[in-house]
Amino acid sequence: MHPSTTPADSKITPQVLARLVEIVGVGGILSAREELVVYECDGYTIEKNTPDVVVFPISTAQVVEIVKLCNQHQIPFVPRGAGTSLAGGCLPIGGGVMIALTRMKKILEVNLRDRYAVVEPGLVNVHLTNHLKGTGYHYAPDPSSQGACTIGGNFATNSGGPHTLKYGVTVNHVLGAEMVLPDGRVVEIGGPCEDSPGYDLPGLFVGNEGTFGVCTRITVRLTRDPAAYRTMLGIFNSIQDATQTISNIIGAGIVPAALELMDQGIIEAVEAAFHFGFPLDAAAVLLIEVDGLEVAVDDEARQIIDICNQTGAREVRTANSPKERLLLWKCRKQAFGAIGRLSPSYCTQDGVVPRTKLPEILAFIIAMSEKHAIRIVNVFHAGDGNIHPILLFDERDADQVRRVLAASDAILEKCIELGGSVTGEHGIGVEKINLMNKLFSEIDLAVMAQVRDGYNPSGLCSPRKMLPTAGACGMEHIERSTPGRRAAL
Amino acid sequence: MSLAPAAESDFQPSTQEELSRWLADNSTGPARPVFAVGGGTSTQFGYPSTVAGQTVSTTRLDRVIDYPARDMTVTVEAGITIERLQQLLATERQRLPIDIPEADWATLGGVLATNASGSRRLGLGTMRDAVIGLSAVDAEGRLFKSGGRVVKNVAGYDLCKMLIGSLGTLAVVSQITLKLRPIPERSAILWVPLSAIGEAEPILERLTSSATRPVAIDLLDRRGAELVSAKSRLSLPVNAAVLVVGVEGGVRDTDWQLRTVQDEIRRVQSGESHAVEAGEVDNLWSALTEFPVAIEGPVTFKASLLPSRTVAFVEQSARFGCAIQAHAGSGIVTGHLPGSAETVESAQAIIRPVRQAAEACGGSLVVMRCDDDWKATLNVFGRSTPATDLMRTLKTQLDPRGLLNPRRLFGDM
Repeated sequence: MHPSTTPADSKITPQVLARLVEIVGVGGILSAREELVVYECDGYTIEKNTPDVVVFPISTAQVVEIVKLCNQHQIPFVPRGAGTSLAGGCLPIGGGVMIALTRMKKILEVNLRDRYAVVEPGLVNVHLTNHLKGTGYHYAPDPSSQGACTIGGNFATNSGGPHTLKYGVTVNHVLGAEMVLPDGRVVEIGGPCEDSPGYDLPGLFVGNEGTFGVCTRITVRLTRDPAAYRTMLGIFNSIQDATQTISNIIGAGIVPAALELMDQGIIEAVEAAFHFGFPLDAAAVLLIEVDGLEVAVDDEARQIIDICNQTGAREVRTANSPKERLLLWKCRKQAFGAIGRLSPSYCTQDGVVPRTKLPEILAFIIAMSEKHAIRIVNVFHAGDGNIHPILLFDERDADQVRRVLAASDAILEKCIELGGSVTGEHGIGVEKINLMNKLFSEIDLAVMAQVRDGYNPSGLCSPRKMLPTAGACGMEHIERSTPGRRAAL
Repeated sequence: MSLAPAAESDFQPSTQEELSRWLADNSTGPARPVFAVGGGTSTQFGYPSTVAGQTVSTTRLDRVIDYPARDMTVTVEAGITIERLQQLLATERQRLPIDIPEADWATLGGVLATNASGSRRLGLGTMRDAVIGLSAVDAEGRLFKSGGRVVKNVAGYDLCKMLIGSLGTLAVVSQITLKLRPIPERSAILWVPLSAIGEAEPILERLTSSATRPVAIDLLDRRGAELVSAKSRLSLPVNAAVLVVGVEGGVRDTDWQLRTVQDEIRRVQSGESHAVEAGEVDNLWSALTEFPVAIEGPVTFKASLLPSRTVAFVEQSARFGCAIQAHAGSGIVTGHLPGSAETVESAQAIIRPVRQAAEACGGSLVVMRCDDDWKATLNVFGRSTPATDLMRTLKTQLDPRGLLNPRRLFGDM
């Protein structure tokens, strides 16, 4: 709960610090206590630890030098983008060197004929799409934090977003990358040409949560802009009707571009923040968007409106102008920001269930909210079955924190029971490390550890992330502890 | 050319547990090399083994484990044939939207191991977009899984991606979960004969900003077009080259797309284009799908290019007498060398320059099929890159004793 003090055995000696300054320049490093506090956590605020030093390289060569120095002195290091991740993926366990990539933010190449762009990892997601405005192309993965999160961070966590329902998540849009491996080697994997011979390394490396090294350049697929949109708002008096509607839409073989649910608690916060005109007495709203050819979207929209009406929608509104559509999406994407109005702290969960099980999991969430006396509001990617219950609490109250963790675990375990997963897009990080052996067998985890140990044998790069293992030389067996969580609580 | 017929396989497990036990016994006992085979349609792909071992056929691992159609996912065992899978999915008006040749033989596991794909990959993706979970058995017989049965999942490393295209060298895949797509109401194809291959360039350029969204854009050279036309049993007009544009969707929007794309092409190219009759579209899709196996030439290759280099590449390959099908929107090209390439030297005289052209734009050329004796000379996978070392690391980590399909991918391990 409190920033730990720099460990007495910190390996950042004055010599190491001087060498880091030499590599990145005096303006590319932070090491004063008060400056480091910002880097003690990401969007997962329950666990915190400050790095010993944060460096801001501006080139691959600098990253290589930093990584080599860390190896030489056996100092743990962890890459970080904008720090918007929600599972503690860039929590600097054990302190050490944090490699912040936010100054490597150039767009290196845009090739529309061949439908790709090459970018540096610190580029903010939406800046690429903004840069492409007017070309008829965009970068499809659109996490709600896209105004702040970086494409390197998206690569590390395999980020999703509302429109990934139709267009796929980050991995479906990454063609290649340049990696600085944990031992300092620089390797190009994949590239703008599809189907590189041999194993699909970009496919494996996306979602590695920083445990396979530092990504220093990314080649991404660009997607044609849809010619037309129809954006609808289905208003429901019962959350069960809303979830049943989602199930019926998918069951009818319709794949909307986006299909999002917001419940009453969120509607209230969003309405107070943006004054869109959401009905405050509705139990849930569905934000549904279809996109594609002008000639096709009306038919699809009509089918969806019919399904909404058949499953008890009180009303279905349609966005009448591009401006109204953008406002609707702003409300959805900034819903998390509006939560500050409801509570001093919140913890967003990220479970997935088969889409037909949405009614069941929503009922369970309500039950858990009552059982643990924790208010839970919901805003999520309904079409993917990707739930985001948001648990509201006050982090200064240790008992509330405990109840939040208990309710979170219960919800995620229910997701597993229903045939789902404990994370759809936020990642394992440290937050969910104790759930990995509920989702996977010892053998599954051992195989994953073998893969990781091939690339990160010393475990210095992003230690104690993703897998519940000690992270040392391939000899370890699986621990059943929760190091990250214990460290922080 | 030899398939490995299921009946002659050394071992045919009926459950993945049986497969797991057998591999564990092999690992602790004789430690023979293991060659996993599905339908045997791609056994020519990769380097041959120099050591004898045992074949494991997955064809009896063919059960449907779970098909919750309303979730649009399906979980099946790896030995199910593509034809049987598609028939099952069609009962719910769903499909795996990947064009696979020899679907009556090819198994899903084999398709995964070889990362096979076809014309509609442009609009509908490849196996890496469709596979959301799997189970596999490693060389020691350990049954492990990755991913799950939900469409969005980032728990743990994505070993599904790692195994797609791995040619059975890391593990034997036993069970697969797929994300499905609805079968569209309608599918339509425009067949555009060209008097020169180069005429395709302005059309392809135009299509990058088309108002339509084609699911397939194939460029066929004369020999390629003749093959496809004959195979489809539709007497389609063939010229120096043919451009094929496929669209799919609802009835109304498919008609609109077909007309619009025809108009767009007419603005940059004066010749006639033919909208294939509705009743004939399936035949043509099928002929396009079978192209990679449509000929008994001495060598078949697959090149991977920047899409913008495709036309020049097809021109060059056609000059050597190859039959070519280029997925021009994706830069993926299948080529059959002419029968005149009777010796490894004459084959190499074609492969070397076309591979150079592919590698010059950052792409690659893989020899999909040729005489085993030619493979070392032709170099199946082309140049090694620093990324090859990372692939070898995976092989060493997951199959340290090199029991699974030894040599097949790297030629030496």
